[in-house]
Amino acid sequence: MSTGRAESVASRDVRERVGTARTILVRAVVGDRLGLVVFLGTLLAAGVTWRVGVFITDNYTLANALVALADGSLVVDEAVYGTLEAPGMNVHDGRLYGRNYGQVAFAVPLLWGLRAVTAVADLGLVFAAAWSLLLLAFAVQVGRITGRESICATAGAGLALASFAASAALAEPIPPRLLPLAALQLGTVLATALVATMVYRLLARVHDRRVGVTAAVASVFTTPVGFWAAIPKRHVTVTTLLVGVIYAFYRSRSADESADGPVPLLSPVGFRALAYALVGLYTWAHAGEAFAVFLALVAVDLPTAPSNDRRTLAVVGVAFGASLVPFFATNVAISGDPVRPPRMLSEFAVSTDGGAFGGAGGSGGGGNGGATSDGSPPLLPAPVRTLVTTVADRSGLIFGPFVAGAKSAVSDPESLYRTFVRAGYDGYIGARDNDQAINLSVLESAPVLAGVAALVATGGRRATAAVRRPDASVVGARLRRSVRTVRTSPTAATDAFVALVAVLFTLIYIPRLPLFAQVTVRYLLPVYVLAAYALARQSWLRRVLADHGRAALWSYLAGVLLGAQLIFVVVTAGSFGRGGAFQLHAVVGLVVGAAFAVSAVGSALDERFDSVTAVTGGLAAALGTDLALLSAFVYFRYGPHVLPSTDWLADLLASA
Amino acid sequence: MDRGRVLVYATAAVIVGVTVLSGPAIGLVDLTTPRYDMSGLGEGNATVDEVELPSSVAIDRGYQSQSYYLTVPDARIHLAAIDGKPTVAYGIDIPALGYSRSTTHFLSDGDTGWASLSLREDTLADDAVDADGYDGTLSLVLRDSGGKTVIANRTVPVEVNE
Repeated sequence: MSTGRAESVASRDVRERVGTARTILVRAVVGDRLGLVVFLGTLLAAGVTWRVGVFITDNYTLANALVALADGSLVVDEAVYGTLEAPGMNVHDGRLYGRNYGQVAFAVPLLWGLRAVTAVADLGLVFAAAWSLLLLAFAVQVGRITGRESICATAGAGLALASFAASAALAEPIPPRLLPLAALQLGTVLATALVATMVYRLLARVHDRRVGVTAAVASVFTTPVGFWAAIPKRHVTVTTLLVGVIYAFYRSRSADESADGPVPLLSPVGFRALAYALVGLYTWAHAGEAFAVFLALVAVDLPTAPSNDRRTLAVVGVAFGASLVPFFATNVAISGDPVRPPRMLSEFAVSTDGGAFGGAGGSGGGGNGGATSDGSPPLLPAPVRTLVTTVADRSGLIFGPFVAGAKSAVSDPESLYRTFVRAGYDGYIGARDNDQAINLSVLESAPVLAGVAALVATGGRRATAAVRRPDASVVGARLRRSVRTVRTSPTAATDAFVALVAVLFTLIYIPRLPLFAQVTVRYLLPVYVLAAYALARQSWLRRVLADHGRAALWSYLAGVLLGAQLIFVVVTAGSFGRGGAFQLHAVVGLVVGAAFAVSAVGSALDERFDSVTAVTGGLAAALGTDLALLSAFVYFRYGPHVLPSTDWLADLLASA
Repeated sequence: MDRGRVLVYATAAVIVGVTVLSGPAIGLVDLTTPRYDMSGLGEGNATVDEVELPSSVAIDRGYQSQSYYLTVPDARIHLAAIDGKPTVAYGIDIPALGYSRSTTHFLSDGDTGWASLSLREDTLADDAVDADGYDGTLSLVLRDSGGKTVIANRTVPVEVNE
């Protein structure tokens, strides 16, 4: 009797602990229940577009590196997929290595998980089963949020069963050979869901939950993030890390506002350390980009932090140092030099223009010793001279890419225009695509970002207001006041950080763009999300969403449900081919984007334009979604969809 | 437990249960069969009594692109009788371009009546096309137990539209 009672007490204790652990996990990963809904919804949508297969040859490198890493080796000596002569495969001491090891390492546990699951479930059906279970979970959570638990649970159960039955009826075998590739893709799909969740959490705190959810959906599904969601490249992974850095940065400034909410999991200092730790992890995926983020973070964080005392800096420094350990350890294991990532090694079998950051092919951080310039008279003693030249060399190496980017932006505005506004046909790029124009510009891939143009109007409006105000004569005082705002307001500091990251990130890549095999300027993928943040921060847009949310939503849905079909019919009936189809998206996107930009400027100045802005904004957003949807179903066919029913639909569309 | 909850758990149990029961460890049923059973392809017999081939083929300049697209309209065949899984290959040859391409269609039991056969659109590079028109040959080749039979062959003009 008494033992039984003790057991029940113990089991209750265990249950409570599991419950607490679950609550903490949910709070840490998705924030709250609505965050969970955003997370699940994004997974469901990304699952629809997911094909297991190789999209571009770069994927071979990561997939082969994952197979090697799962076998416990950094050296890649077997081409399980395609060829080892793929872009991004690097050679050191005669041995081959992959790159982006952070992303590859993240996929290793996923691969183990998939291997365990496929021991008892058929690979051809396992994703469909998981998708249906996620749909069920999604419905249950939506039910809890809306207070209609019973009806949502019933509908969810029906839909989940129906989708699973359809999948089971249509399922085809997926070769087990594709498992590592699927693990990498699962990693990027999860990263996509985290991007949406992080954007939601950030903007739900900065503004409210409606803005949070809208921004989350917009940043993933109206920009090319959705396009790249299931393609095993680094871009979505690094976007997740960057949005994580921004979120942690914001929380490090704004902890004491949640008076009625639960106690935060981390203190402001903890969040500050987390921001740096995420940058450290970022280096493991792409050191060059991480460095730009680091510079921006330091430049905004140190001057605006509530305190820079020794203890705080020690905590931040230790966290950052610890987060760099995987990066250093990987580099040491490969080349022996902790600050020389695989990207700085020589590329195998491909010309060196494929390396990504700053053309650092041979000039990596390897200590060549003090290279003193001969010819100049020795004014300073040798050790100081060595120090000065080393600092100059190193800072040249560090700031070189940004300077080169700025120079290129000034000297070659046409490239800038072709990267951001109208890509059009480019002979150099077209030669690789049968003379088609498949690569889109930033605006063509995400027309909704045209709304950022309204920043000009809001800026102009503020400037005129400032000039009209009586105390405007004292410019210095105004400047000081805005500096104080950035220092005291968490939102202003975050805005500054986002703006600086966007600029530095763009500068790195400007000299190399436009470039082939970008499709949607994929190098700048994180910048799309930053631009979506910039849009969500506009007061006119939030007013439009609050007053005309319904119009915006219906325009978006019409643009997706009818627009995608219309584009499909035009492309199919007109025999446009892939290049023509992309140009159709480009031209329609630019026209609608321009309309949105004009009405957005109007809304920023006068609210009478709001209803028009809601409609143009909804349509512009829809065009981004259409591109991702039609690409997944129609334009690119490179492997089986994980969902048998969407695979069947894609086959049906192909025969149309 | 209310009804909704029971439904949710039952649904999850069904999905997990079916997945595991059909999985490699238990293998009660195999749910992942190829949608098209490839066995016995090209075997059987078909009687084609009518054939319609398009009268021309177009090479169009791509929209906002420098590339060309070759579009071949569908061919149609009327099947009087069919048995087994014979195949029909619909092909085009453009000798002046050194171009040849065909798409194989699978027929199956009971597919009698009119059948539409398509040929996938293809992309040609800018420098590949230099004349205003070419001569092309369209062909339909039936493969069954009796071997390969050319059931239609026709020379058509290939029009280049800038």
